Amino acid sequence: MSAEMDALIEIVVKGKIKEAKDATQKCLDAGNSPQDIIFTALAGAMEIVGEKYAAKEYFLPQVLLSANTLYQGLNLVLPMLPAGGGAGAGTVVLGVVEGDVHDIGKNIVKAMVTGTGATVIDMGKDVPIKDFVAKAKETKAKIIAESTLMTPTLAGMKEMEKILKEEGLKGQIVTMVGGGATSKEFADQIGADGWTYDAVAASKMATEFLKH
Amino acid sequence: MSTMTPRERVLAAMRMEEMDRPPVAVFTQSATIGQMEATGVFWPAAHSDAKLMAKLGAAQAEVLGFEAVRAPFCLTAEAERLGAKVDPGKQDRTPMLKEHPFVMNPMEGVYDEPKIMDAQEFLKGGRPAACLEAISILKKQYGDKYPIIAGNTGPFTLAGHMVNTENLVFAILMEPDEVVKWIDAVNPICQAYSQALVDAGADIVQMSEPSASTDLLSPDMFDDYAGKYIKDSLAAIDGGYSVLHICGDTYSLLDNMIGTGVTALSIEEKVDPAKAVEKVAGRASLVGNVGVVHPLLQGTPDDCFKHGQIVAKAGFNVVSPGCGLSALIPNDNLKALVKAVKG
Repeated sequence: MSAEMDALIEIVVKGKIKEAKDATQKCLDAGNSPQDIIFTALAGAMEIVGEKYAAKEYFLPQVLLSANTLYQGLNLVLPMLPAGGGAGAGTVVLGVVEGDVHDIGKNIVKAMVTGTGATVIDMGKDVPIKDFVAKAKETKAKIIAESTLMTPTLAGMKEMEKILKEEGLKGQIVTMVGGGATSKEFADQIGADGWTYDAVAASKMATEFLKH
Repeated sequence: MSTMTPRERVLAAMRMEEMDRPPVAVFTQSATIGQMEATGVFWPAAHSDAKLMAKLGAAQAEVLGFEAVRAPFCLTAEAERLGAKVDPGKQDRTPMLKEHPFVMNPMEGVYDEPKIMDAQEFLKGGRPAACLEAISILKKQYGDKYPIIAGNTGPFTLAGHMVNTENLVFAILMEPDEVVKWIDAVNPICQAYSQALVDAGADIVQMSEPSASTDLLSPDMFDDYAGKYIKDSLAAIDGGYSVLHICGDTYSLLDNMIGTGVTALSIEEKVDPAKAVEKVAGRASLVGNVGVVHPLLQGTPDDCFKHGQIVAKAGFNVVSPGCGLSALIPNDNLKALVKAVKG
């Protein structure tokens, strides 16, 4: 890998926001393609950030700093990708289910999954279940990722499975659930396709689902 | 020993005195649909009417047999009083913050000044005043028999409610002075409110500081942006016991929580109960840590009974749910937890 790419990785990992755009431009100037910059440098950097978070070496402030640094670089190279093609990894629709506004965890998942090169459509918080499904159909998304920290809102996740089944989309669109109130047992019980404890595991699982 | 009232038993547990058994009491949000149906008092009305709040707050003892009474049921009263927009929620759903009254945007470099009302003004109106009244009603009606627990919000969490928690956390690295400015501004309110709750009749103030959990802050950041403030706004209260509640896996944070000087720590089931007792080693009283989602919400009464026994046997000073109850938890599961401890 070129020295420019190494430099960009370090900038994202260390969260040097102001240097990210220039460093990304230098990677382009050195002849790296936008795809390579996304999949190799930016994805590699967020993987390192994820490892540091999992090891409790990084906490939320550092992750937010790296995520915002990542977006600086991404905003430069994303528009250069072929129209409609995205980076090629696939599309994930994500959000916090209706009735809940706790979105920090969702935002970390967004940063981590964006870091893998996937196209992430962020629906925000307090999102009606039907809106998730409509957006996933419209964008031909492979994954709907939904989170909640609360318990009353778990019912919405169950409704998601019902709607997807009724519309014959179950399997074609896979569901990933997460957040403080969820568990592996709960995900299995409602028939969700995946559950992870944290954002690092969520991004790895999303990458696996997008491969198939 | 068996002649102890629940109040005597819980207060002895705060002092970590040896007893035949620990008390079992909900120190976190205590209301459930089962208690609402039994008392005829429902959310959201009980969040703002002092009489209704007191009636529902007594239900954990009167309906289910727990050994305390407690109010209120959410962490939005303070933020709403300070200008945040709050959705009152539904019968089974706690109130939610819809809009933060101030802006902190580290990416754009926009930082509002913390122009908020002073502490004395804060206590005079809105839902904090209703909570104070509910505590004094509880004290009058139940003060001889049950300990009165009042819940409030920690300074870092409240500052996050003012400006958006994610932005507050992000600003710790971008503009730490702006973060300090906000916590400095809200902490006198937390301090005055904690003391006012005691003065209104609370035996125990249980302050929740969820935004300072290890999912968000490192233990060092906890000390700088939450712990040192909690020393003043909770641990220093005069005439009552102080309990600090933090969610998530608090194992690596236990020393820092003890360092605030509070009477007791209230923690979640993500910490193994025996390991928590071993690490705390009598430096503070321990309250918890039966899981709210599992076993209480999703398990059977038998699961709840077993978990209650595990926590009691591990040596927790008070057996309690590890976090605020989901309103959907069935009566039978809560009664099984009570039975596991009281027999």
